[in-house]
Amino acid sequence: MSRPTASRQRRAEAATAYAFLAPNVLVLALFVLLPLGWAVGLSFQRTDGFGAGRWIGFGNYLRLVGDPLFWRSTLNTVAFTVIVTPLSMALGLGAALLLNAALPARPVFRSVLIMPMAVSGVATALIGLLVFDQNNGILNGLLGAVGLPRIDWQSGGAAAFASVVLITLWWRVGFNMLIYLAGLQGLDPGLQEAALLDGAGWWQRLWYLTVPLLGPASFFLLIINVIYSFSVFDIVFVLTGGGPQNATSVLVTYAYDTAFVSRDQGYGAALGVVLLIISLVFTAVQWRTSRNRDQTG
Amino acid sequence: MRTPPALTAVRFVGALLVAVVIAFPLYWMVVVALSSRSDLLGGTLRLWPERLTLDNVRNVLDSFPVLTWFGNSVAIALTTAVITVTFNLLAGYAFAHLRFRGSTPLFLLMLGTLTLPLQVIMVALFRLVTSLGLYGSYWAVILPTAASAFGVFLSRQFLLAIPRDLIEAARIDGAGHRQVFTRIVLPMSKPLIAVLFFMSLLASWNDFAWPLIALKDNSLFTLPIGLLYLQSQNGPDYGGTMAFALINVAPMVIVFLVFQRFFVQGFARSGLR
Amino acid sequence: MPLTRRRFLTGAAATATALPLAAAGCGFAPAGSKAAANPDTLTFTTWGTDAELAGFRAAIAGFEKANSGAKVNLNAVPYEQMFTDIDAQLQTGNPPDVFRVPYYTFGAYAGRGQLLDLSSQLPSGFGDRFTPAAWAAVQNSGKPYGVPHHTDTSAILYNTALMKGAGITDIPTKAEDAWTWDEFTAVARKLRSSLPATKFPFGYNWQGNGVTRWLNLLFQADGRFLDEQLSGPAINSDAGRAAVEFSKDFFTQKFVPPNSSVKATTYVADSWYAQTTAMVFSGAFAIPDATENLKFEWGATYAPRKVRGGGDFGGNALVVTAKAKNPKLATAFLDFVTQADPMRTFCAGASLLPTRRDLSADGIEFKIRPELSPVFVGQSRVVRATDSAQVASPSMSGIITVLKDQLDKAFVGGQSTAATISGLSSGIAQALQK
Repeated sequence: MSRPTASRQRRAEAATAYAFLAPNVLVLALFVLLPLGWAVGLSFQRTDGFGAGRWIGFGNYLRLVGDPLFWRSTLNTVAFTVIVTPLSMALGLGAALLLNAALPARPVFRSVLIMPMAVSGVATALIGLLVFDQNNGILNGLLGAVGLPRIDWQSGGAAAFASVVLITLWWRVGFNMLIYLAGLQGLDPGLQEAALLDGAGWWQRLWYLTVPLLGPASFFLLIINVIYSFSVFDIVFVLTGGGPQNATSVLVTYAYDTAFVSRDQGYGAALGVVLLIISLVFTAVQWRTSRNRDQTG
Repeated sequence: MRTPPALTAVRFVGALLVAVVIAFPLYWMVVVALSSRSDLLGGTLRLWPERLTLDNVRNVLDSFPVLTWFGNSVAIALTTAVITVTFNLLAGYAFAHLRFRGSTPLFLLMLGTLTLPLQVIMVALFRLVTSLGLYGSYWAVILPTAASAFGVFLSRQFLLAIPRDLIEAARIDGAGHRQVFTRIVLPMSKPLIAVLFFMSLLASWNDFAWPLIALKDNSLFTLPIGLLYLQSQNGPDYGGTMAFALINVAPMVIVFLVFQRFFVQGFARSGLR
Repeated sequence: MPLTRRRFLTGAAATATALPLAAAGCGFAPAGSKAAANPDTLTFTTWGTDAELAGFRAAIAGFEKANSGAKVNLNAVPYEQMFTDIDAQLQTGNPPDVFRVPYYTFGAYAGRGQLLDLSSQLPSGFGDRFTPAAWAAVQNSGKPYGVPHHTDTSAILYNTALMKGAGITDIPTKAEDAWTWDEFTAVARKLRSSLPATKFPFGYNWQGNGVTRWLNLLFQADGRFLDEQLSGPAINSDAGRAAVEFSKDFFTQKFVPPNSSVKATTYVADSWYAQTTAMVFSGAFAIPDATENLKFEWGATYAPRKVRGGGDFGGNALVVTAKAKNPKLATAFLDFVTQADPMRTFCAGASLLPTRRDLSADGIEFKIRPELSPVFVGQSRVVRATDSAQVASPSMSGIITVLKDQLDKAFVGGQSTAATISGLSSGIAQALQK
């Protein structure tokens, strides 16, 4: 093939790519990026949302630096992400290994584990309230009945944080299991048998064979779980409202309270922009460091 | 390899324990939905209700135009799913197999927008939808959610698994990219389509914050908005909420059971292994 | 008593229910502005319980009858997110003509030019039909921007058996005899020693949207949180310190459940329902639900007093938006619904308290447990115009955040009274500047 043809082909390929991307990109640009631009503009203003705001430059961003609740919420968001992401992936992998093995009633177990996915976030959080209410809830009732101490799920900071994590895991582990289950089914059983013949133990096979082979699934889950955890809202908002004493306040609940409860829309927009920047940076870093993982093996 | 019966038994017990933990809140949801408020707040611990009542379910069915809302939800969720799946497949193919300038930054930008909280852009989005004349119609809900970054990501990962050689071979035979897409990629992507369709349906089905604002009139509302009506100024009506949550979740569970087979296959064929 | 629960939407969408999918298809056509054209049609956005919506619907029927050709479109939305919705509509110039708003949110709209100044529309002396406290709650810079539609204030509901078990039989039946703070504390102590550790003497209803109910204690101590010009904080006072100290003690003495602070996500009324607390501070609105669901015997008494009796001016106003198409008709509607008969029907049916001078003086009879009406009407009479005027401040939404943050720190974070007062004072000052 001569050179000009190759470059023409490349141009044709790019043209096709843009045409294929156009619907998604146009909708995204119109309904997400355009409003986002407006929100970025808002983040440079002091405004209650009515009438024209006052331009204050980086005022809102400077205020963030000295706002203890912003740092607390950021810390909580990061802690939530750092706890929930590996736990839901590990539990998801464990459940997938278990339910990939020979087992009676396997389809029933699989369905049960995935079922929480279909429950909406608000309903999930309300179930959480019924379970974790420290005076009248079923969990403390059960703990009390078997002689264990009742836990201050609502008035203790650590316990409240734990309740948010637990209900999130309940909701999310099924999805993680599903992805890993699919990954496991795509593996070549011959490799496992070869390793077994070589005398590799269960742990060794898991750690040196299965886990690396599940790399692309793990990469997908890592990104999706982190993005989900950064933007957690419904569960926290309904279950703890960010309390007690901001122990569970996360960036999105804080942004919501600021923009819609305190009516400080400029500051709320600044919080949202910061959240977006953090997640963009994270995704980009993951992408760079895990380049090889998006190729199929 | 034959599994020893003892091992199977251990696995079974383990699976059972996990299933009980996961199923208990669901079970509790049903109990609350089928209990009267006075029994629920009776102050004594009961793991099964003393008596079952359909009062909550009946109240909810009497109070809300559940059928109308169901119809709205179906119309919106199906349309959204069809559009989203189409957009996602096209974009996913471009990201997976076509080389073009700006591919990576564009993809990362798309992924990044997944975290953007609705609350931050809501007012601007409302202005936009109003000025486009969409306010108070299904499109006000459908269009802003049609470009799902999650779906693009999933499509890209799946389509990477289609061997490049296959595509190259078709290209050498003179097929254009459009033909490759429709004749080779699409037929191989049925499981992916099933997964995308279900995930998109689910997301759209459970969405409430934006539909409440964008649909304007309560005859156009979707099912999950009913859950909001049950959170009054002075606290939630738990029984009613759980009854409504059951009504809301039931269609998705049925769809899920139907799609379940495709589901595991869908992910299995993707590059996700 | 079978309450008809939330039938409001069924009526509105009855035709659609017959052919759900066919009707649902209409949603694909943009709604356009079909209703907007008619100047005799008012749009009215509200949330409400079944009883409240029934009251509104009856009032609308009466209004349409009295004004031939006029029509009111009632749009019932969930309370949750009602104001996110209203804000979005106001910001894009699409608001309803009339909407319902809590007094503590009223100022946020009135102070920012979003509402119609009613002084040009209403006859002089119109305000005289309301109690001074009620009329003060809808003023902004000396002008009325709404009508006080109903009020609600907190009294105490008690579990008769639990009270008796602690030897408390002498429960006040007249406003003058209401427990003093000291007497109330003594009652709580008795209950504390008679109840197991998992139960509590009382619950205070300041969770959710209720943080302004803490102000009841401030008012009882004859304090203020804003100065008389409503332009600066006034909480740094003996009364302020007394109110913080008193309410902090609720937690340190284990009088209230530890998970019932101002930022809790569960409502303390549920704990009283479950007999986890012996008493609960509550508005009259809870009476129908409690009557329907509780299996134990219960009664109501007055909130305690210190220097004087005091309570929050709770409840909701009706307001007209600044750009309403037909201000005259909208104002006529507000006039109509605050006449004696519609107000009496509304309040009696929904267990809420009237804002009219005549109804407040004569009392009303709740449909359910009418014998409890005097307690709540009596409690609402101790609210003063100087109290309710403060809550109408345009900065109230910011002040509410400050109250929540500081009180939560004081109640469960162990923050000292002095630090709480200074935090409240500087926070309120900051909120007023915005």
